[in-house]
Amino acid sequence: MSTVDYLELLKLAAPETIVVAAAVAVLFVDLVIMRDEPMRHRLLIGGAVTGLGCLVALLWLAKVPVHAAVLGGVLVVDPLTQWVKGIVLVLTLCTAALSLHAKFTEHVGEYFTLVLLATCGMMFLVSSDDLLTIFVSLELTSLCLYILTAFSKRDRSSAEAGLKYFLFGGMAAAFTLYGLSLVYGLAGTTNLRAAAAALAGQGLTPLLAVALIMVVIGFGFKVAAVPFHLWAPDAYQGAPTPAAALIASGSKVASFFVLAKVLMLGFAGVEGSGAWRQFSAGWAPLLATLAVVSMLLGNLAALAQRRVKRLLAYSAIAHAGYLLLGLLALANSDGRPEALAALVYYLATYGLTTVGAFGVLGVLERVNGSDRLEDFIGLSRRAPGLALCLVVFLLSLAGIPPLAGFFGKFYVFTAVVGAEPARLGLLWLVALAIALSAVSLYYYLQVLKRAYVVAPVAGADRIVLTWEDRLAVGGLALAVVLLGVFPSLLLSPLGAAIQVAGY
Amino acid sequence: METLCFYLFAALAVVCGFLVVANPFSRNPVASAMFLVLTIAALAGLFVLLHAFFLAAVQILVYAGAVMVLFLFVIMLLDLKEEERRSWRKFGLVGGGVAVALIALLMYAALRQSPLGAAGEPRVEGSTAALGELLFRQYLLPFELVGVLLLVGMVGVIWLSKRAVP
Amino acid sequence: MMETLDQLFVLLKRWVVGEFPAAWRLWLSPLIDAGAIIGVFAGLFAVTTLLERKGLGRLQNRMGPNRVGPFGVLQPLADGLKMLTKEDIVPRAADRVVHFLAPIAMVTPILLAYAVLPFGRNLVAVDFDAGLLFFFAVGAGTELAVFMAGWSSRNKYSLLGAMRGIAQMISYEVPLVLSAVAVVLVAGSLSLPSIVDSQAGYHWGWLARWHVFTPWGLAGFILFLIAATAESNRSPFDLPEGESEIIAGHLIEYSGFKYALFFLGEYLGLFAVSALGITLFLGGWQAPVPFLAWVPSYLWFGAKLLGCIALFIWLRGTMPRLRTDQLMNFAWKFMLPLVLVNLVVAALWHGTAAWGFFGAGATRWLLGGAVLWLTYSALSHALFTAPGRGPRTYRYAD
Repeated sequence: MSTVDYLELLKLAAPETIVVAAAVAVLFVDLVIMRDEPMRHRLLIGGAVTGLGCLVALLWLAKVPVHAAVLGGVLVVDPLTQWVKGIVLVLTLCTAALSLHAKFTEHVGEYFTLVLLATCGMMFLVSSDDLLTIFVSLELTSLCLYILTAFSKRDRSSAEAGLKYFLFGGMAAAFTLYGLSLVYGLAGTTNLRAAAAALAGQGLTPLLAVALIMVVIGFGFKVAAVPFHLWAPDAYQGAPTPAAALIASGSKVASFFVLAKVLMLGFAGVEGSGAWRQFSAGWAPLLATLAVVSMLLGNLAALAQRRVKRLLAYSAIAHAGYLLLGLLALANSDGRPEALAALVYYLATYGLTTVGAFGVLGVLERVNGSDRLEDFIGLSRRAPGLALCLVVFLLSLAGIPPLAGFFGKFYVFTAVVGAEPARLGLLWLVALAIALSAVSLYYYLQVLKRAYVVAPVAGADRIVLTWEDRLAVGGLALAVVLLGVFPSLLLSPLGAAIQVAGY
Repeated sequence: METLCFYLFAALAVVCGFLVVANPFSRNPVASAMFLVLTIAALAGLFVLLHAFFLAAVQILVYAGAVMVLFLFVIMLLDLKEEERRSWRKFGLVGGGVAVALIALLMYAALRQSPLGAAGEPRVEGSTAALGELLFRQYLLPFELVGVLLLVGMVGVIWLSKRAVP
Repeated sequence: MMETLDQLFVLLKRWVVGEFPAAWRLWLSPLIDAGAIIGVFAGLFAVTTLLERKGLGRLQNRMGPNRVGPFGVLQPLADGLKMLTKEDIVPRAADRVVHFLAPIAMVTPILLAYAVLPFGRNLVAVDFDAGLLFFFAVGAGTELAVFMAGWSSRNKYSLLGAMRGIAQMISYEVPLVLSAVAVVLVAGSLSLPSIVDSQAGYHWGWLARWHVFTPWGLAGFILFLIAATAESNRSPFDLPEGESEIIAGHLIEYSGFKYALFFLGEYLGLFAVSALGITLFLGGWQAPVPFLAWVPSYLWFGAKLLGCIALFIWLRGTMPRLRTDQLMNFAWKFMLPLVLVNLVVAALWHGTAAWGFFGAGATRWLLGGAVLWLTYSALSHALFTAPGRGPRTYRYAD
């Protein structure tokens, strides 16, 4: 039995530890000190403690670059995971900023605690190469998100959404666990890299195929890929807006990253060494199928939506399709660093954009009390700044240059095309994705049309924005523009990090 | 002897597990819960056959002793009535049958083509101390994470049972 | 000679088993163990009912049973005959299967629990590595039995009784297990015989090294006793059966032999948990003073067991019954924090075992005792001054 240097371990897991400590601190401060204060103060203080925790963790990530894989891959800290964890933390920070005007709950302490603990789960999800830890942190994240979805007690649809999310999630967790335990049974180890080495010689046996399918089903649920997407529209619709933002951004980033890792590392040897170029077996066809259906259904169903949250949910499903396409590029070992960098860039920009869009939605919901398309009418006159930010977010989601969403799509599609120069098997997939991106422009423009073109009803007054809204939404819009104009701001450090981490 | 015990416990687990979800004699939630207790006990028996005494004892103590009793307690408090007999729809019946058949076929093919490896030596022989060593060294982080997970559960339940201020 | 007497039962069993062909021995040995346990403790049950009735009688200034046989010693026999010949009534609305299974589910797990208890030197049916855990695991089965009895009777009083019973048993199981965990922490084993071994020897040649003589052990033992009283539904924690409010709780629809089985189960549970307390804190079968070490170990164990039973009878005769809210507050707001602090004190005690300076033992004792005492007084203060917890006010009955 090897001894463990607990101090070293604490140092490596410090960001996560800080986040958990902040979670407990929020709970303590809100329930003990701030108990009888007015709601506004409680929200401000809770948000401040949450933000402080995230900032300290971010600072630690930036200032203490320790790199190690300890305990046989249970905790892997390398530049890439540091970056992804940083992205998750930034997204949480934005979510916390959007929560400062929450009217959906009186339980401020519990709310921020759950947000922070979900973040902690995501961070462990990102930085572990161990099946056991991955599963436990997946459950931690999911459990927090189920509760957050149902957090609005006065709203029936919130409870319904929470229950739906929970039931689907429980089912998916069962699939994941079954698949992971089959992997463990076949490989005899819970470490991803070791499992890959053990599986390499076996070829794609039926049992391994079952394991693979089960794992993909489980993660497919997490990332809301068709046909495991049924929870997403209801959860997005029913959940309080900041919670929906967290589900759509941070959770998505972490889930996609871990899915990429499981497929890339854990199932690397599934087909044996010779079958790489043909994509004839293994997880590539499975993923390609999921990607196609997700893109098709997400984009087409979004056309019919009258509520913006639902629209964003279907757009998220479509984006899951693009991202699954990006995962396909990882199947090939040459060009993998570029593909991985493109994927993480896409994830980061998509997360920022979504949080921003939900931020705008949150403001409107606060003023109008709902998120119907009609509520966007005359937004450009009621709040010109907000409307401009909305333009930035939605056009970025649609993939219009020079915004970040365009470059995300561009790099991912380039990586997919470049992944298999010989047979051009994936070219038609990329063509489909580009075509569907054009379709998606229609429903994003539906929203913008109402904001800018349709004449407002008389008497609609100006929307007063608070400084937190300005800061969060404006900052996010700025980030989306900046990352679009200078993609290398994020891409080149990511590339360097991937080089160092050695994927 | 051991093989006999294995088949006994395995059969008990499968039969009781079936009776939990689809009991042809009673649609009473209490009956389901009690069969779940039996399933758990049978699983504990399987753990004993694998020399995992600690796990078996914990399984009984936590699941049969605490979790299931709380289940029953909740059923009792909510005064759940017998579930109505499900009316069988043609689609559900056919779809379910096809799905079960396909999964059975898949598992059969899978198990025929790739037999699971022979049972290896247990890495942690029944001893509680060795298990503790493993939990607090190799698997310290998942172990702590489960602690956080329980905290989430606790916060969630307390939040859920607090009265909403109208 | 004394050695032989001490190991009398072990040798006896070995001899009996040796007389049989080898193929049978594997089966015979556990059978003999089980038979002996059932025989001895069913007998003890009979004796205890008499003792309890006599003792309660004396505490309440009356004679107790004195009609059947000399001084009433044959009373258990008469009680047993009465129980066996009574009509067995099952309510028409009852769930017959569960109603029938409940008494069995009550007695069987408790009998299983005896398998891991060491009643004397080498006198244990199964020396099992996770014995303590096994004990608690099978003990959890009785909660199910209470539920089954209360639910299957289709009687609102039984249901209320079962709900009270389960809530109480689950709540008090936490301090019960945690006070035992302190012993596991110091003894470093979950096996009950090795926990007894860890208490062997004497300080300065006369003070036994029992855990009860340490600060955490003393506190742990008291907490354990309280939790054990609650676990076995005995007064002052006999709310599930509270005769004055819910008649007899989950037992209301039972009569005849099934009722007797429940009764047997409750007493067997009491013996088992007392035996566990003795094993954990009172040195098990070890003699309290070295010059009496020649007395056979099982006699010491029996004496301690009878002492515990007497204590429980005394408690029952002395204490009034609690209210449900008092019961729950006591479990969660007093016992749980105290038992957690006790765990920390036990860890400190274990950590400072290497202190060698003069007076180290006394220092450790005083430190641990002070921590526990402070916690105790703070918690009890909080318990008694919490809002709404003052002396009861009567709105209508002044």
